[in-house]
Amino acid sequence: MGRILIVDDTMFMRTLLKNILFSGGHDIVGEAADGAEALARYQELKPDLVTMDVVMPKMNGIEALKAIKAADPAAKVIMCTAVGQEQMVKLAVKSGARGYIVKPFQAPKVLEEVKNVLSA
Amino acid sequence: MFDEEGYRKLFVEESRENHENIVNNLLALETGDDQQTAIDEIFRSAHTLKGMSASMGFDAMEHLCHSMEDVFSLIRSGRREVDASLTDLLLTCTDTIEEMLDAIESGGAPSDEQSASLVQELQAFAEEEGEEGPSPGAAPPAETTPEPVEDADDRPLYTLTVAVDPSSTMKDVRAMLLLQNLEELGTILSTVPARELLEDGMFDGPFEVLIESEAGEDALRTIASGTELSLIALSAGGSLPAALPITPPAESKEAQTPEPSPQQVQRAAKAEKSREIKNIRVDIQRLDRMMNLVEDLVINRGRLEQIAKKHGIKEFDEALSMVGRSVSDLQNLMMGIRMMPLERIFNRLPRVVRDVANHDGKEVELTIEGGETELDRSMMDGLSDPLLHLIRNGVNHGIETPEIRKASGKPPKGSLRLTARRDKDNVVIEIEDDGAGIDHERLRRKGVEKGLMAPEAAANATKEELVGLLFEPGFSTAETITDISGRGVGLDVVKKTIESLKGTIKVETEVGRGTRFELVLPPTMAIIDVMMVHINGMRCAIPISNVVEVAQTRPEAIHRIGNSEAILLRDQTLPMHRLEDMFGRAEKSNTLVVLQNDGRRCCIVVDTVDGQQEVVVKPLSSIAGNCRGISGITIPGDGDVVPVLDVNTMI
Repeated sequence: MGRILIVDDTMFMRTLLKNILFSGGHDIVGEAADGAEALARYQELKPDLVTMDVVMPKMNGIEALKAIKAADPAAKVIMCTAVGQEQMVKLAVKSGARGYIVKPFQAPKVLEEVKNVLSA
Repeated sequence: MFDEEGYRKLFVEESRENHENIVNNLLALETGDDQQTAIDEIFRSAHTLKGMSASMGFDAMEHLCHSMEDVFSLIRSGRREVDASLTDLLLTCTDTIEEMLDAIESGGAPSDEQSASLVQELQAFAEEEGEEGPSPGAAPPAETTPEPVEDADDRPLYTLTVAVDPSSTMKDVRAMLLLQNLEELGTILSTVPARELLEDGMFDGPFEVLIESEAGEDALRTIASGTELSLIALSAGGSLPAALPITPPAESKEAQTPEPSPQQVQRAAKAEKSREIKNIRVDIQRLDRMMNLVEDLVINRGRLEQIAKKHGIKEFDEALSMVGRSVSDLQNLMMGIRMMPLERIFNRLPRVVRDVANHDGKEVELTIEGGETELDRSMMDGLSDPLLHLIRNGVNHGIETPEIRKASGKPPKGSLRLTARRDKDNVVIEIEDDGAGIDHERLRRKGVEKGLMAPEAAANATKEELVGLLFEPGFSTAETITDISGRGVGLDVVKKTIESLKGTIKVETEVGRGTRFELVLPPTMAIIDVMMVHINGMRCAIPISNVVEVAQTRPEAIHRIGNSEAILLRDQTLPMHRLEDMFGRAEKSNTLVVLQNDGRRCCIVVDTVDGQQEVVVKPLSSIAGNCRGISGITIPGDGDVVPVLDVNTMI
């Protein structure tokens, strides 16, 4: 089970995801509400995994992903995305994202992806 | 864990923030500065709303937000201009979203009824343009020429047959992730179908990957059995299908995608140093309950102090004074927590001004200052409607049409200023327009016509008295009732509401120059300074803000005028009340308390003045009903229940 950092600009989504991940036995070590905060929290907490929202104010998820990957090439980042954002997710995958989950979140799928990315 | 109700609250709260953000940025789009930021913000908020509503299963709202997002995605890429008709459509959408949020907040779920036609309109907008412009991703996949494969070195070859779960929402991305993960274990020599097709989602059923890897079967098996993937077959060895295109090396693919410049990454990295999550949200009802508890603590501290005084135990006094200090700190802290910036209600007003101005064919520039000024939450609720009314009034009755303005030498665009500031213990809110103003002579005439003023009184009435008429029930200077500000609510209701918040409202007006309303409000209603008095042996508290002075009088100074009494105090005649119907027949007493409200004065007879103290005012319970003359009760230290006089209803 992993130490996870949740990045999303809404507390609603963070809470939703936190509860799903918590029910899967994961440890939520931190939350961030935008890309810049995500990078700072990542460097401070060194989580096993990051769930990263794509659309966020200030620094978006892709930029934050790149910044995190630049700081730690081994970082495991899962993108939180929505139908219609395929191009963005592909860009994210090319930039080093290890997985993706699609809103609205289905708890089993989220947990499966997190487990797989953590064990890879 | 979080329950359904908790999610709903959080959902509504954050959705409202995003909704507000959309509305304000739509308006910003119209004024024209920094279009790109506004467009980005709207897109982001619509997207966020879509995601949240989908998560809650509010499909109607999701569809609506989705359609808005689509339209904004076109605008963002420059394939659609924003014009007034689109802004109107989008604003109607935001209204619908607001209605949906109201429905959700009260426990319901929005239906498609409200939004279906809007979704259609939005889609029509999007499609109309979509045909004209090239759509991304519609470009035919680049052709790849098969490359001859170098003779394999001695690394083992594997052929994997993998299927993507049909329920996968993005099978193209899933395939891409798989290939990318496999690439970390070795070199992909080919795929069937071609990698481009896989990554564009142009495949049905299983596909094959030929990979050269030293990682071993198990590692490959793990990767190929990932999320939404099932490994159908894995066999050692394999041959290259000669005719099939071969994957270009991953590096060249990467070069095609736009990378952020190194400066961008650096900037991002430096942008903000570690920021803790410093804010949490607390349900306002919980705050109310905490406030009640703090108030009880304050009351009981007072009781303890009385008991301590009786017994005079030094140690006990010391401990009590420590407790007392903590309670005071706690009380101040709680009051601080309940404060909210006025922005909360100011933010809605630009939209109102726009709508009313459009409706009336007027041009109005609204400037808002001091939105950061804080007010207790309980005040905020009550203040919203009066402010809305005054702002509507300003546009509707105050500011003239551009033609009239030009004719009188004013710029065609009217100005409406809303300012808030803290002034000592009060919050002052001003609403000022540079419109037509109100003619005092017309007020004088109308006051007599409506029977609100006797003709002789009107002839001598001061400017203040004349504008005071505006707040009388049934007085309206507008010749016709408009459907915007004349919805049966007059300034008299505004004044009543403000007074129920323990505030005052004043108006100044000058013909041709404009009108200015000034609202003065206490930042909080719960704790006030009162003067404690005895009237006919009963205790009563009077808010200090209403007390002018305490005076001694002689019976000769009291004059009878008809049924009422008046007193001559330092050359001023003041009406005098004995409050007998409230407290019973008073003892003979020469002590007077002079009260004032909004510039008007009167005095009441009291037995004794006991002193001044800070008290918590509790509203009367609904069982007691609305008691005229009493704004609430307070429980000072001794546990007695003392009424608080409502001076506003007396004068």
